[in-house]
Amino acid sequence: MALIELTNVTKTYNEEAVATSVLKGVSLAIEDSEFVSIMGPSGSGKSTLMHIMGLLDRPSSGTYELQGVDTATLSDEALAGLRNTTIGFVFQAFHLLGRISVRENVMLALNYSNVSRNQWREMAEKVLARVGLSHRLDHFPTQISGGEKQRVAMARALVLNPKVIFADEPTGNLDSKSGQAVLDLIKELNTQGHTVILVTHELEAARVAQRIVTLRDGLIADDQMVGLSGEEQLPYGKPKGYQI
Amino acid sequence: MSIMDSMRIALHGLRANIGRSLLTIIGIVIGIVAIVFVMSMGQAAQEFIISQVEGFGAHTLIVRPGREPQGPTGVAETVLADSLRERDLTYLRQSGHVPGVISVEPAVLVPGSVSYQNQISRPTVFGWTAEALAKFFDVYPETGELFSEEDIEAHAKVAVIGKKVKDELFGDSDAVGEYMKIAGQNMRVVGVLPSKGQVSVLNLDEVVVIPYTTARQDILGSDHYFEFFVGVDEAYDIADVEADLKAALRDLHGITDPEKDDFFVVTQQDIVESVNTITSALTIFLVAIASISLLVGGVGIMNIMLVSVTERTQEIGLRKAVGATNSDILRQFLLEALILTTGGGIVGVLVAALLSWVTAFVVSTFFGLAWNFVVPPLAIFLGVGMASLVGVIFGLYPARRAAKKNPIEALRYE
Repeated sequence: MALIELTNVTKTYNEEAVATSVLKGVSLAIEDSEFVSIMGPSGSGKSTLMHIMGLLDRPSSGTYELQGVDTATLSDEALAGLRNTTIGFVFQAFHLLGRISVRENVMLALNYSNVSRNQWREMAEKVLARVGLSHRLDHFPTQISGGEKQRVAMARALVLNPKVIFADEPTGNLDSKSGQAVLDLIKELNTQGHTVILVTHELEAARVAQRIVTLRDGLIADDQMVGLSGEEQLPYGKPKGYQI
Repeated sequence: MSIMDSMRIALHGLRANIGRSLLTIIGIVIGIVAIVFVMSMGQAAQEFIISQVEGFGAHTLIVRPGREPQGPTGVAETVLADSLRERDLTYLRQSGHVPGVISVEPAVLVPGSVSYQNQISRPTVFGWTAEALAKFFDVYPETGELFSEEDIEAHAKVAVIGKKVKDELFGDSDAVGEYMKIAGQNMRVVGVLPSKGQVSVLNLDEVVVIPYTTARQDILGSDHYFEFFVGVDEAYDIADVEADLKAALRDLHGITDPEKDDFFVVTQQDIVESVNTITSALTIFLVAIASISLLVGGVGIMNIMLVSVTERTQEIGLRKAVGATNSDILRQFLLEALILTTGGGIVGVLVAALLSWVTAFVVSTFFGLAWNFVVPPLAIFLGVGMASLVGVIFGLYPARRAAKKNPIEALRYE
């Protein structure tokens, strides 16, 4: 059983009586502990696909099974619960709350969890240590660099130890050095057992993953494995359409 | 998520914008101050008036001529009515005619001014008995004395005057023994009352009391009375005595249909009730007006909450992304509005209490009136309760807007 299994998923937005088809039938399976990049030009539907997989949106048709459960059968509250415990998001724009400290930003998801309050600080500090920000606990987001902000956002995504991490253009607002540090960290999270889905339009970034799914016009145009050194043979044979 | 957690988040949100939060609640504070202050003043005024009326005593009936006043013109009818006459007085005074009646003190109003040399004063001139004056207003002259029963029988031209009347006519010199003029007749001042100010329906400082016999026959030349003060034996039920008294007067006046009574009876209870009715109606009216300002405050809250929701669109998106449900978001914003308005309500009650205290202090210290500091518990509950209600009503729409935001669009919002 795949961790994420999409079957013929479509998404159509109806705005002002104009139907816009963003996903036109996507079938995709992602295994536990996989590291997948989703690539594609803007407008290809990669963000919409991520939103559906991240339970921020529902498909117009087709089925999405997460951990073997058809998400169409789940209530909005249940989806919120899964976003809280099973899924972590990292966004391009960080989305840290400016008026609370780094530590409190990391604790945000705990507000909506069952974890008792007396464990919150410790959990936040532990996860901030994991991203190397133990010295920034009481700083405010305005007082730290962009790279640090994105690492805080990653700590926030990790605080409840979710199974899947969705990273939406996490290096888009960063210089190449701190961007690389963030990618290294994402890779490390994958080796620690988290399933990672990285949405990006930069090939350089996408290659950090083991597998690259390319979308074009709402359909999967390409789905291939990445060799660790580029040319290396993958253990389970050469994937279809291997080009990179 | 527990209510306490929601509360914490809401407080956090408010603290981040402390200046705006405080400005926002000013409207609510003013509305609640107005409501609670009006209710406190209404209560204090009611207590004040009733304490004055109670000076009459619970065992007194007042009989007046004419129909019971049913509006402003009705009062004039009373003054002009001439149905209470000497024979009524004589009959009622006769022991045993109406069981329970122990005294009947008639009163006559003398219109016009009084003068001494070149000085003129315009007091209320009462033809009365000295006994009634002492009994109903618990007062005795500070200089001189009351006129006597003999003075009444003899139609003596004597007068007891209030403090202000004395000051206006005689200044600092001694008034007792001097002659002043009432309706052109010389009246000898026999006593000056101490300054007591307003006591129930009369300002004792601006009153002149002369024997009713003198007033009725020698000054007015009429044969009717303005009112009878009827003292009732405490052993009797005042309602029974009132019924017997009415029956006796109907007999005397040849009236069979109580609808056609040419007199009416007022008890202290009636006065207290009408005072309560008037002050309550006035208070409700003023509270209703004050509530409009609360409504304006509520609209202000809604406005600010809508701005706040829009400003924090990204925050809402993020909270949803990390697991907040729609009702978590709804609760957060609703609680923010509720904390704002309830806080405003509490501040408003405190400010109103302070204002009421200052008013009571000023009125009792500088005007010498027995004005109490009261804040009715109902006003406190109503003040805080209405503020909270405003928070719920005007916070609900912005909170629902926040809760219904699509997380994806919210996160993209710039």
